[in-house]
Amino acid sequence: MTMSTTSAGLEFHDVTVAYGRRPVLWNVDLTVPGACLFGIIGPNGAGKSTLLKAALGLVPLAGGEVRILGAPLEQVRGRVGYVPQRESVDWDFPVTVTDVVLMGTYARLGWLRRPGPRERSLAAECLDRVDLADVADRQIGRLSGGQQQRVFLARALAQQADVYFLDEPMAGVDARSQERIFRVLAELRAEGRLVVIVHHDLRSAADWFDAVALIDMRLVATGPVEAVLTPENLRRTYAGRLDLLDEIGRAVAEGGRTP
Amino acid sequence: MILAVVDDPFPYGWIPPYNTLVVAAGVASVGFAAGVVGCFAVLRRRALAGDAAAHATLLGIGLAFLLGGGRRDLPLLLAGALATAIAALLGLVLIGRWTRTRDDAATAIVLGVSFGAGITLLSGITARGIPGSAGLGQFLLGHTAGLTAADATILGAVSLLAVGMVALFLKESTLVAFDPLFAAASGWPVMLIDYALVVLVAVMVVVGLPAAGAVLVTALVVIPPVTARQWTDSVGVMLPLSGMFGLVAALSGVAVSSAVPRMPTGPLVVIAASVLLTVSLLIAPRRGGLARWLEARRTVAAWADGRLLEVALRLDGDGPFTREQLLARAPGAAADSAFKRLVRSAALEPVVTRGGTHAWRLAVWGRELAAERSRRVAAWTEVLEAAREDARGHLTIDVPSPEAILGAARMKAIRESAAAERVAGGPRPGQPWQPGQPGGGAGG
Repeated sequence: MTMSTTSAGLEFHDVTVAYGRRPVLWNVDLTVPGACLFGIIGPNGAGKSTLLKAALGLVPLAGGEVRILGAPLEQVRGRVGYVPQRESVDWDFPVTVTDVVLMGTYARLGWLRRPGPRERSLAAECLDRVDLADVADRQIGRLSGGQQQRVFLARALAQQADVYFLDEPMAGVDARSQERIFRVLAELRAEGRLVVIVHHDLRSAADWFDAVALIDMRLVATGPVEAVLTPENLRRTYAGRLDLLDEIGRAVAEGGRTP
Repeated sequence: MILAVVDDPFPYGWIPPYNTLVVAAGVASVGFAAGVVGCFAVLRRRALAGDAAAHATLLGIGLAFLLGGGRRDLPLLLAGALATAIAALLGLVLIGRWTRTRDDAATAIVLGVSFGAGITLLSGITARGIPGSAGLGQFLLGHTAGLTAADATILGAVSLLAVGMVALFLKESTLVAFDPLFAAASGWPVMLIDYALVVLVAVMVVVGLPAAGAVLVTALVVIPPVTARQWTDSVGVMLPLSGMFGLVAALSGVAVSSAVPRMPTGPLVVIAASVLLTVSLLIAPRRGGLARWLEARRTVAAWADGRLLEVALRLDGDGPFTREQLLARAPGAAADSAFKRLVRSAALEPVVTRGGTHAWRLAVWGRELAAERSRRVAAWTEVLEAAREDARGHLTIDVPSPEAILGAARMKAIRESAAAERVAGGPRPGQPWQPGQPGGGAGG
């Protein structure tokens, strides 16, 4: 389960993605070391989610390549976990919380084999880790937004991956759930795993992440949080988005790490 | 049937002929399978694609009839129907992929074009009076009277095969229908599974043709799943339940039509299915209209009762109060009936004051009720502050006892953590993780 600490966890080489003729990611060249909490930060429409999807092979690359744990995706798919955006599914779907978490074990089970007692106890363990044991048998629509987000996290835990990709896991989540999610992610890092998170809140980014990448179609800056989240870099990333300047000012003033 | 044995009113004997039995069994399996397969079409929001496929079948029937040299051979005709149904689905995929037409428009185009072509071809064939062509019109609205035992056996066998496929790949189908993005990210061939499910829908539409006809057969694929969804929150239950609803609809439609000469079966099948649907939409627990209406009413009443008690407790401190004073402080459409309920349950008792006006005060029991409610409100406030999101899922507007719902142990834990947090000076974000500090995170 542990990864060699020398190899990079995730590498993007010249990755370009276009929807039609419109570029969404422009020549992104980014290396993420292993075993850390890594934030992908940028304004709306900056291509943050697309960057995750490019890493997971969910959007075709116009050019460039992605390597995970030093290998192409196909070779390491079983070691990759994913938390999609909460709005990407229909929460009225007739499945229970446990059913959804069990889906994390499907890839390992392969075709036709059904989850058995081992998978069930793993699912229960994962639910316990995100504090949802008491709603295990509920239909997923009867949960709050933060609980739904944690169901997705539990499903990813059940994947038992070495590299995790999370797409806006804090969207619509209250401060307490957010802290709980961050704690689980910090545990994953302590176990030697890499956690890559698309995130929008600069303040909590400064509190929790080890390193970040600022993205606005192109890569603006990447590195340790204190080196990257500088007023200059933020201005370049959020250029022209005046409504955000306030938020940035606050984040830099309060949230940035003190050396 | 027992009576029939005694009286023997049927000159031809009371046991249905062999052919009728086989046809009934075939139609029953078609109905069951259509209901099962349709679940994924509905859950994956592909119901309209199935309709387009159904309307495209007529073209295939006409072509197969011409190719077969005018033989009215059911398996051949249905093979033709399946070919054009799948061609229509392929057309949908291609339009979606290579043009910028929206899904609904693409569906309408494929449905209209293929149905128009099919009707034109069939009309041409019948107008020329080609022998055997008279029966082709039956595929428009369904007609099971002409089915032979051999035909019905084929329909039934294909249906059971379709059910077997769904049962076999239940895990994969559910995963793709619920979260295709996650499925693709974990390496499943989402496109393949998706296409397989859509082709299965096309197969069911085709074998459903004799029972319901091209125009109405989607109803057999769409209505039973929606009906079944009303009754359950589990895919594992929804599938067989939907199958049973489909079976009942198909059988009763065919049975009624066999009693009426030249009555097409399709409309009757749809009527039977919609009766089941309507009843389910009305009376299903939790999701049904009646349950929702009752719940809404109960919610309003419970809230009004609680509010009124709360206000009454406050007014009671200054002696008796009038109905108007009470209602003025707890306004709302349901306040008046809540007042009557409190009087009827003797939570409020009348006091005749010296002025002769009617006044009220809280009875001992009413005061206990009000005190208990405010205790619960206070307890919930504390719980919500300490564990807002998890607790909110349990709080209902009738303010249940938090201890009864969360358990005494959990309440104690929540209280203790809240108290600890107050000492520490309120909630704080976690401390940044430092290298060489295993476990990381989490200040507090």
